[in-house]
Amino acid sequence: MAKQIYVPDIGDFSDVDVIEVLVKAGDTISIDDALITLESDKASMDIPASEGGVVKEVKVKVGDQVSQGSLILLLESGAEASVNVASDNSQPRVSGTAAATPAPSGSGGGYGGAALEDICVPDIGDFSSVDVIEVLVHAGDTIKEDDALITLESDKASMDIPAPKGGIVKEVKVKVGDQVSQGSLILVLEGKASVAAVAAPAAAQQGGSAKSPARVPAAASSTDAAAFRRAHASPSIRRIARELGVDLARVVGSGRNNRITENDVKNFHNSGGQTAVAAAAPAAAASKVAPAAPATGMGIPLITQPDWAKFGTIETVPMSRIGKLSAKHLHKCWLNVPQVTHFDETDITELEQYRQQLKDRAKQMGFGLTPLVFMLKAVVAGLKEYPKFNSAMDDAGENLIQRKFYNIGIAVDTPDGLVVPVIRDVDRKGIFDLGRELGEISKKARDGQLKAADMQGGCFTISSLGGIGGTNFTPIVNAPEVGILGLTRSQIQLKRMNGEIVDRLIQPLAVSYDHRVIDGAYAARFVSYLAFILSDVRNLIL
Amino acid sequence: MSKIIEIKVPDIGDFSDVDVIEVLVAVGDKVAAEDALITLESDKASMDIPSSDAGTIKEMKIAVGDQASQGTVICLMEVEGAAAAAAPPAAAKSAPVAAPAAAPASASHGGSADISCQMLVLGAGPGGYTAAFRASDLGLKTVLIERWDTLGGVCLNVGCIPSKALLHAAKVVDEAEDMAAHGITFSKPKIDLDKLRGWKDSVVKRLTGGLSGLAKQRKVEVVKGTGTFLDPHHVQVIAADGKKTVIKFDNAVIAAGSEAVHLPFIPDDPRVIDSTGALALQDVPKTMLVIGGGIIGLEMATVYASLGTRITVVEMLDNIVAGADKDIVKPLLTRIKKRYDNIWLETRVTGVEANKKGLTVSFDGKNAPDKPQTYDRILVAVGRIPNGKTIAAEKAGVAVDDRGFVQVVDTQMRTTQPHIFAIGDIIGQPMLAHKAVHEGKTAAEAASGLPSHFDARVIPSVAYTDPEVAWVGVTEIEAKAQGIKYGKGVFPWAASGRALSIAREEGMTKLIFDEENDRLIGAGIVGVNAGELIAEMAHAIEMGSNAADIGLTVHPHPTLSETVAMAAEAFEGTITDLYMPKKR
Repeated sequence: MAKQIYVPDIGDFSDVDVIEVLVKAGDTISIDDALITLESDKASMDIPASEGGVVKEVKVKVGDQVSQGSLILLLESGAEASVNVASDNSQPRVSGTAAATPAPSGSGGGYGGAALEDICVPDIGDFSSVDVIEVLVHAGDTIKEDDALITLESDKASMDIPAPKGGIVKEVKVKVGDQVSQGSLILVLEGKASVAAVAAPAAAQQGGSAKSPARVPAAASSTDAAAFRRAHASPSIRRIARELGVDLARVVGSGRNNRITENDVKNFHNSGGQTAVAAAAPAAAASKVAPAAPATGMGIPLITQPDWAKFGTIETVPMSRIGKLSAKHLHKCWLNVPQVTHFDETDITELEQYRQQLKDRAKQMGFGLTPLVFMLKAVVAGLKEYPKFNSAMDDAGENLIQRKFYNIGIAVDTPDGLVVPVIRDVDRKGIFDLGRELGEISKKARDGQLKAADMQGGCFTISSLGGIGGTNFTPIVNAPEVGILGLTRSQIQLKRMNGEIVDRLIQPLAVSYDHRVIDGAYAARFVSYLAFILSDVRNLIL
Repeated sequence: MSKIIEIKVPDIGDFSDVDVIEVLVAVGDKVAAEDALITLESDKASMDIPSSDAGTIKEMKIAVGDQASQGTVICLMEVEGAAAAAAPPAAAKSAPVAAPAAAPASASHGGSADISCQMLVLGAGPGGYTAAFRASDLGLKTVLIERWDTLGGVCLNVGCIPSKALLHAAKVVDEAEDMAAHGITFSKPKIDLDKLRGWKDSVVKRLTGGLSGLAKQRKVEVVKGTGTFLDPHHVQVIAADGKKTVIKFDNAVIAAGSEAVHLPFIPDDPRVIDSTGALALQDVPKTMLVIGGGIIGLEMATVYASLGTRITVVEMLDNIVAGADKDIVKPLLTRIKKRYDNIWLETRVTGVEANKKGLTVSFDGKNAPDKPQTYDRILVAVGRIPNGKTIAAEKAGVAVDDRGFVQVVDTQMRTTQPHIFAIGDIIGQPMLAHKAVHEGKTAAEAASGLPSHFDARVIPSVAYTDPEVAWVGVTEIEAKAQGIKYGKGVFPWAASGRALSIAREEGMTKLIFDEENDRLIGAGIVGVNAGELIAEMAHAIEMGSNAADIGLTVHPHPTLSETVAMAAEAFEGTITDLYMPKKR
């Protein structure tokens, strides 16, 4: 079907002279190819094709005057203008000189054959610029549909990206440490047919092709030359990496825009990431470098590991995925948030009596009723009274984002590590509803069934160690939230009331807060308000 | 021919007296290179020790419970001929895609050798002499073989250097003439061809003489003559006077270069010349047909046009300077269209007839003239073919493909024989001296045991035409073909004060950035001195510079180098010297 291609917006010009027509009927053009050249009294400009195809008919000629919207030509789209894909990336991307052109055999360049296909990141939800933490395939691998290609990790979850189809991996376009979004090119896949036959002359033409590993003497490692060359490192760093036997493709840079520095290479080498040793366990090596190169780029001095094996038996235990994620997140929170922890305590004797009264009812309904349920309600009351605790600072540090909803995160200890599921709209739920939901979500967390959505949208977090013990602790603010309530075990203490010494059940309270957003006095008031609410359950209805 | 060799424990790092916990082979076993022989276990790790060679185990020298260190003999092995020859099948197996030319079975030289060396370099062009000098500096006894009388290869003798001397002369003529339009008129130049040729030759002589001096200082032995392999460790050199010299070597670098392609249907006539003939500057013909619109043809056309020859260029492809983007070539095309008689693209020469009046040429193709045309001279510049088939590489077990390219299998420039390296034109495109030089260094260092690899990302290309055309890294054509998401920053020199003040505003600087991270991945420049300007771009690409790195670097004003920063600013949308509303 013929498409009409018009002069696009060319600014303030109209009736501009066509000084050159660069295509003619029958030409195959691709998008952005120059079609015509216009010349105004100010400048000359090429008008690019808005899409590719075969030129059906050219509607302008040199000397014509055109304006925005003038018809330039008719284009037969149909099959995308065929594009020769240079398949071998191993040689530096330099096209042949003139000398290259007329092969003695007389055959012009361009090899046909094997269908190459780009495999891109599919829809991965709301995420973009997600880190690639593992690349599971290499050039030359034969893969099947649904084989995992790469592992991505957002700040919330990690996920494998499966192959949409099978074939032979021609070239992997991402490496560990890259950031990808939906549509990012992962690799080039070659359909199974006719690989070897076509590739051979191609390689021959390349001559200096570095890809073929063939038989390489002991000195050389399994380094992928192309990936090595592409790593964000200057030539001198590349040389140092060669000297130390470090595969740059596996080093995460700590410099600006993840540039690999001399220190990064040396640290990678010293930490035992040397290719020869770690070749069998690329994943382990990758995780080893990750903490050495914090994504914050704050330039904090690195802590390197001594050779522990010198001092005794060791075992390297891979961290769980959740463990790695939370380690990174907590590190980020700790580095970014100037936090202060405020301690207080509250008398929950009566609250506990009330809870005991309700407990059996709840049990009959099929769930437990922990003190945490009341804490949820009390926190909501506190957030309503002291709304800054339900705000967040915007990225520019210019405004507070005030949330008008009350979703509370609960830190849950699981066999795999710490997770924080979020209970939504706590303000609109009753004690029993919350009790049930808390039971369900904790179970989900422990079973590893939480979805990313279950952990999003929190306003404030409660971390309760009440069942375990302790007298107090300093929780780390779960940024970008600005406050967190830490609870340890309540204890019966002797208190003076109305002149008498009595046993009271005392609950320690520890609230850490982001001092950028919240002042000390404001925090003290917030915590004493929590204490006030909890000291008499009737206050909850205030 | 077989012999018994000792297989020893190789360098195993800091360990010594390591326990042998397993012996994996027995007497009589046939092993291939890299097969595991024994397993060692230190307090840190256990490791398999691979066989360095292929052959049959004659005797085991080690048993479980023994302690081994570097150099400990593991076993005696009977190997076929020279050890390394057994490896090619392994290469074929591990490289199914890129082993088009299987390594041939090597020959064996039974005789003696006149000279022995640790490093032999075949060919003394820029790549070869660099490899030889570097190897010598790294302590290897080095022999350099050259078939010509002088060192320096095509580049120094009949290529880059003499052509630049003549191009300089051409430029002075053209600029003097152009100044007439700006108020200074010189008289028509008188060309003393002998003197011009003499000056060009003196430039060449100075450089090649300098090379001989450098070789002497380094005690690199230069053997004059044509070298061919006898086996994987011997080369025979036949000098012009027929004298034969056999050289035995431990390592070799093949740097035997390329030569101009000759078209079979063109008669053997002194009026048909290649680039070497053109540079000889016998006379200035009235008319010349240049077959091939590539860099070499166009540079020679530039010289002869300035000396007064009327030029016609004929090119098979749809553009001149293949490989560069069309927009970068366009200013050159526009200029030479005015200066030359004809530029016929998508046209080929179908026949040439030598007669008294001249060379009568018939054409075919899109822009072919109706009738055959007659020229005083024909310059054939349709490309260069590698000399891979002229060195008896097969006797050394070195694979050469159908077209004569020596096959290189790794980034250390090794051929299918691990102790024989190959560099420069003879291994593939681009056939450029600066590529060969870097490859030569890599090969020499690798042969000396250094962990050097050819890790350059890009190799710049320059056509020293007028205006010059230079490009590096990814072109737009390639970016589109590869599906790279790219953005470009273009700065037309019409807005450069310096370009205007040298009356050459047709230039353009184009930078190509990776949209993902704004890093420079390619650049194309056309204009006066583009070849000098492109170096900054090559450096920027190697350094992983992004648009801001280039744009925020203060470039001196008023220079042509400013156009580079401006192009980066144009990409960033921060440019003030042009009005370019930007969507970013």
